[in-house]
Amino acid sequence: MKSKKKIEIFPIVNGLIFIILALIIIIPMWKVLVDSFDLKTAYGMKLWPEEFGLAGYISVFKNPTLSHPLMISFITTIVGTLLALTLSTFGAYVLIQWDMPGRNFFANMLLFTMIFNGGMIPTYLVLKSLHLTNTLWVVILFPALNVYNLVLMRNFFEGIPVSLFESATLDGCSPMQTFIRIVLPMSKAALASIGLMFAVTYWNDYTHYKLYITDSNLYNFQMKLRSIIMGSDLPQANGGATENTVKNAAIIVVIIPFMILYPFLQKYFVKGVNIGAVKE
Amino acid sequence: MKKNKNQSAEVNANSGKKHLAAKIYKYRGFYLMFLPVFVFAIIFFYLPMFGVRYAFTDYNGIKEATFVGLKHFQKMFSMPNFWSAFFNTLEISIVKLFLTTIAAVVVSIFLNEIMNIHFKKVIQTIIYLPHFMSWVVTASVFSLILAPTAQGLVNTFLVNNGIIDSSSMIYFLGDSKWWRFSYYLINIWKETGWQTVIFMATLAGINTELYEAAAIDGAGRWGKMRYITFPALQNTILTVIILNLAKVMNLFESAFVLQNDAVLDTANVLETYIYYQTFNSGAIPNYGYTTAVGLFKSLVGCILVLVCNQWSKKVRDGRGIV
Repeated sequence: MKSKKKIEIFPIVNGLIFIILALIIIIPMWKVLVDSFDLKTAYGMKLWPEEFGLAGYISVFKNPTLSHPLMISFITTIVGTLLALTLSTFGAYVLIQWDMPGRNFFANMLLFTMIFNGGMIPTYLVLKSLHLTNTLWVVILFPALNVYNLVLMRNFFEGIPVSLFESATLDGCSPMQTFIRIVLPMSKAALASIGLMFAVTYWNDYTHYKLYITDSNLYNFQMKLRSIIMGSDLPQANGGATENTVKNAAIIVVIIPFMILYPFLQKYFVKGVNIGAVKE
Repeated sequence: MKKNKNQSAEVNANSGKKHLAAKIYKYRGFYLMFLPVFVFAIIFFYLPMFGVRYAFTDYNGIKEATFVGLKHFQKMFSMPNFWSAFFNTLEISIVKLFLTTIAAVVVSIFLNEIMNIHFKKVIQTIIYLPHFMSWVVTASVFSLILAPTAQGLVNTFLVNNGIIDSSSMIYFLGDSKWWRFSYYLINIWKETGWQTVIFMATLAGINTELYEAAAIDGAGRWGKMRYITFPALQNTILTVIILNLAKVMNLFESAFVLQNDAVLDTANVLETYIYYQTFNSGAIPNYGYTTAVGLFKSLVGCILVLVCNQWSKKVRDGRGIV
């Protein structure tokens, strides 16, 4: 009798615990969303706007210094992700050519970068001497070669049956043709997962901008948001929006594109982790 | 006879060379495909490696570098700020790693007990979310929520419930006493959910017959969790810890965006120390000194990777991490 009762109570308690956990995750974001619409800034513990208004968002979007960084975020994310996927797939495809002279050298060359690196300052000096600092090239090119993601891609490619490659070669396909006709179509899931990981990296990038870009015309939205929050670069408040309302609205603007896509894309992110977990 | 042998050896070598040349020719397309990767690796990883020579010079970016031997290392080891940044890096990274891993294991074990698939999916979607928010956004959200004003959610909550007085609101991110605590909580909030992905994948692989057999043996829910679910996770836990221990020296962005001048004694880590010394010191930067600090950091990181790699091979049937 006693044990039967336990079985009935546990799922309810467990479910409640997870609802509380989910609330802990949501409330900070919810609070920002609510405050971004609230024109009365005595926010306190309110979880609903007291005086609803869009003035915060109007201030954000009316300011030309904000739409420009938003554009930069979009452009670097799209161009960077495509470039990063090209490098990862090319590199991974070469690394599965076990018979190719120099294959091991190339693999070791890439793996060594995971063991040792020159550090922040030598990297800065090299990029500066190549005139890459203070250009958008640096924030597009630098994150594009990610050895970890390249290895993930290679693990995925290794799952493609060798016979497919052989028959393609027999049909007279060049390596590039095999790559386009066989490898890429077979790797849609991996391309989606790893491409999304790159897209998030580019969209969220702050460190590369902070280190290599001083020209504020080249800032992305993360940099802009940071300076808004730090109070050094607050857009002019319009129509009764206060400083804090504008700050909250700016946060929402930077996370909203991802928030909308996230529920549909979540499975690809999870898959990406599992490519790494299953095979190494 | 001798001559003959030599000749045949030569022929062999020649055919070997030809064979290699033929092979290289056969793979020519692949070399071309690897070229961009190669160039990127040289520019972004290998050229900076050669840049570590500045650690032994005085260099300000304008005048030629002059060799100064180990001067910068002597200075570095005598700087209390360097040592505090070094130990802060180790402590913050390792405590953070253990806290988020423990939290993720506990959450995974209980998440595994949820039978309603839809409910489970919704919960998973929600708890993964913060991982994808940038550190800038996370820091922005929490600086507003933890603000020591009537507008800060947490402080208002504490005041309204009589836990603190409205005149003594807590500067969670601006007080050395509270910074670490807040930093760890924010990290748990952000990363625990995503860390459960790898544990949930392991749990999905448990043979359900094990649970049935345990049930026949009279094991209850706790018994199953204690004797089947948790042990199944042990290897994965070790893997996660080894993989992340190898990276503890790389701590930068999360600490950088959450710290401020008031908390630098507990919040400064090696990478942020290098950053401030180079770009924010007010004086002409001495790249030599900060390169030396970076080189020290890289060497410690390198040792950690190699140790973790050996450790990984030992406990994961020969699988390394690099």
